Amino acid sequence: MKSLKKLTTTLLFAWGFSLGFQAPLQAAPWDEEDDSEEAEASEEEEEEDRYLAIVGGDVYTGLGGVLRNVTILSKNGKIQAIEADPFLPEGTEKVDARGMRVYPGLVALSATNRISRGLFGSVELPEDHIDHEAEGEHHGHFYASLAQSHIEEVGQDQEDHFFDAQVDTDAVDSFDPYSQYLVLALATGITTAEQGSTALKLKRGEIEGVAMKDKHLTSVSFGSPASRRSTREKFERAAEYLREYRAWEDLNDKEAKEPSRKGVDGGTLNILLGRNLARFGANSRDELLGIARLAQRYGFRPVIVGCQEGWTVADELGRAGATAVVTPRSRRFKDEKLVRPGGTSIENAAILHAHGVQIAVTPSNTGFELSGITGRDLMHLPTEAGFAVRGGLTNEAALRAITIVPARILGIDHRVGSIEIGKDCDVILTDGDLLHYQTFVQYAVVDGKLVYDKEDEIFFAHIRPRPELPPLDPVQVEEEDEASEEPSEEEEEQDDEDEGDEDEEDEEEEGDEEDEKGDD
Amino acid sequence: MAVRIGRAETASHGTIEHAVILVEGGKIIEIGEDLPVERGIPILDRPDWVATPGFVNPYSRAGMDARAGKAATPQRSAAFELRPHQGVYDDMLEAGVTTLGLYPPGTGMPGQAIAIRTGKRRAEEALLKEGCYLKVTMGTTAQEKKDLIKAFESADKHEEKVQKEREKWEKDQEKKKKKKKKSKKDDDKMARLDDDEKGDDGFEPPAADPDVQPILDMRAGDLHALIRIQKASDLLHLLDVIEEEEGLSWSLRVPLRNDIDLFEVADKIGELDLRVVLDSRVTLEAGTRRERNLAAELTAAGAHVVLLPLSDSAQGHERWRMEVAHLVSLGLDREAALAAMTLEGAHVLGLEERLGSLDKEKDANIVFWNGDPFEPGTKIEAVMLDGRFATGDPQ
Repeated sequence: MKSLKKLTTTLLFAWGFSLGFQAPLQAAPWDEEDDSEEAEASEEEEEEDRYLAIVGGDVYTGLGGVLRNVTILSKNGKIQAIEADPFLPEGTEKVDARGMRVYPGLVALSATNRISRGLFGSVELPEDHIDHEAEGEHHGHFYASLAQSHIEEVGQDQEDHFFDAQVDTDAVDSFDPYSQYLVLALATGITTAEQGSTALKLKRGEIEGVAMKDKHLTSVSFGSPASRRSTREKFERAAEYLREYRAWEDLNDKEAKEPSRKGVDGGTLNILLGRNLARFGANSRDELLGIARLAQRYGFRPVIVGCQEGWTVADELGRAGATAVVTPRSRRFKDEKLVRPGGTSIENAAILHAHGVQIAVTPSNTGFELSGITGRDLMHLPTEAGFAVRGGLTNEAALRAITIVPARILGIDHRVGSIEIGKDCDVILTDGDLLHYQTFVQYAVVDGKLVYDKEDEIFFAHIRPRPELPPLDPVQVEEEDEASEEPSEEEEEQDDEDEGDEDEEDEEEEGDEEDEKGDD
Repeated sequence: MAVRIGRAETASHGTIEHAVILVEGGKIIEIGEDLPVERGIPILDRPDWVATPGFVNPYSRAGMDARAGKAATPQRSAAFELRPHQGVYDDMLEAGVTTLGLYPPGTGMPGQAIAIRTGKRRAEEALLKEGCYLKVTMGTTAQEKKDLIKAFESADKHEEKVQKEREKWEKDQEKKKKKKKKSKKDDDKMARLDDDEKGDDGFEPPAADPDVQPILDMRAGDLHALIRIQKASDLLHLLDVIEEEEGLSWSLRVPLRNDIDLFEVADKIGELDLRVVLDSRVTLEAGTRRERNLAAELTAAGAHVVLLPLSDSAQGHERWRMEVAHLVSLGLDREAALAAMTLEGAHVLGLEERLGSLDKEKDANIVFWNGDPFEPGTKIEAVMLDGRFATGDPQ
């Protein structure tokens, strides 16, 4: 099996040669552009401009600054203005952020596929009820073969995606924008999630533009002595190849023979070229030191998942420009045979951060679980970051650890992870400090669309209901007076006003008629 | 013969009180209120009877052995496994079901459905139509979406090939007035296509693979597709694949699990003016006990709803009208409910011109009840199949 995989890889390389290297003066194969964003932008231009204003909140930009009582205006899903009183074009949808904090949408690393798949509470999707009984015994085989094909695909991905810039469509093609888990993710404040090897924007009710970036990370194994050796060899070979290639390029001689790419690992090459980030999984001091030195020798910035003993070698990791993905509540015992410090420390994140290591936080369970130990899954991502604060990390760094730093790891920090003009309008509104256990996300906005309203969803609406404020727009006061006396209907009115669209108003009138009928 | 009854529910143009139905040669030749009946025509006078069209279940596996896995055999017909000598189809007839659509087993693109008459013991007598619709499944995994894309791509490739051959042929034609060298014969559909092509210049396109041909037919609108989805998001992924396909004629099949979220796309289904094949049941909103009557919601959104019995057995078909009656009691439009059991099902099978309603020129498949068919106490008095009383013959 393994040898077969290798053979395929080699064949792919050979094919790559014939394509990309035939004309020596062509652009090198890694000079490739990611034009997905441009395509998206041009598509949206055809439609009518869509405005949304988040009015009157305290904006925590995720860059260190807090802007009190400002309005964020989004145009077609991008942030256009962050001002005290910007001009709002006609038909702008408004979200009342008064008394709330506005944070960038959170970014969840390595989320399980629960986040965007499957019906609520189900383990596996059922088959057609009629087929079910009769075909039951054969499904086992069907799923098994599917799983097999998936494994093969994944295996190939890891070995070679140098020439394969296509989006891994598995996560995208099964994205469920109506999933109740997705609502739970938004209720947590998560607006972007890494699933499989793809960064997904958690859009609700649509599947277009869900994929943001694919395969930005290359996993590098560094656990066993054998894998360390092979990893070092791969890096050495790739570095050598790059030197040869550059020299050959500089020579600009058509007669000269192009350096052979035989035996060069595509993933490693991508790391050295800065196209991909290297992701290591390591916790012990030895491994961490090894990674730090490897990174410094070959000049790349490693992403280290786990990093439990990182605080003991924080200076080395800082010098290597590492990013640590930590779980502040994880535990590891010190090796008592050793005198030097070891094991986990609640201060891990704080110490690493103080030494210049970028910190990202992920909970110990990256699914959405309605069973097991509560508080350890992605529904408590901000809480997990809060534990890093308990260990001495600043609030500011903890916020970054669940926004811009994971965005950087996924290669999407130019679009999400902070509130800045020109970035995607993916923001969340909370009723307090995001890292506080009592805080609820009140609204979530993705791509300039209101996708979560706590009062509208079944999960948390009844817990500390949102206090009523006088309406934003004085004109609409009259309408509210007309509203019938039942509280539930008033809430509906309120929501309609929040959306504030002209079309919506028509619907609202229809809604009123229905209400009256209901009263009869 | 003429049947004079208290009321006829036509499923296509409302209810006719004091209806007279004239039947001749297996067809309804006239239906109307208090029609005069010529002397000499035998009259059956039953003023307390109510007539409805014979029920049509377009999506069934009754009486069939249904073991299958994933398949990509769009050319296969369900006819090869039809064994009507079992009693199950007789029982169906007793329950008022006169037409059944039988689909091939499996997921993916397992084949084409057939339509049969119930109550017949020989396959030739039972078979009404072959190639009613192509069954396609979407959802469950991303793989199925990929497979569907692949199927259309294979059709694209074939069309490109035809185009190339055509250009080549035209060049040949210019050079010399010789007949094209190779002309493979294919099935009758291809032959018909050939005829069309020949109509203008005599070009014979190369034959398609048997498993590509149904896709081509589907694209040309000649073969209806019944596409099974599992949940609301599957529709978006499906549209992602087939939105560009213009000539496609398709319906949706959605098995209703308890907490299905189909209401999320009800408006979209209505906009697309689709026919949706549903189970006759009430569902719940995920994580709640809030009931949803999807049949009613989709009907209100402008979609055409086809309802199936909850169980595919003969008993299931007996209970069917009560299941639908429950949906009616919860807000489903009554006429839509009757159509959902008759005419809409006939549409899915491509037999809407021939049966599914009490109309002139249609097959005389009529169920006679002793009262409102959606009331619990009501019983079937007689079932007429192709103009003959198949059960409960009053003579």
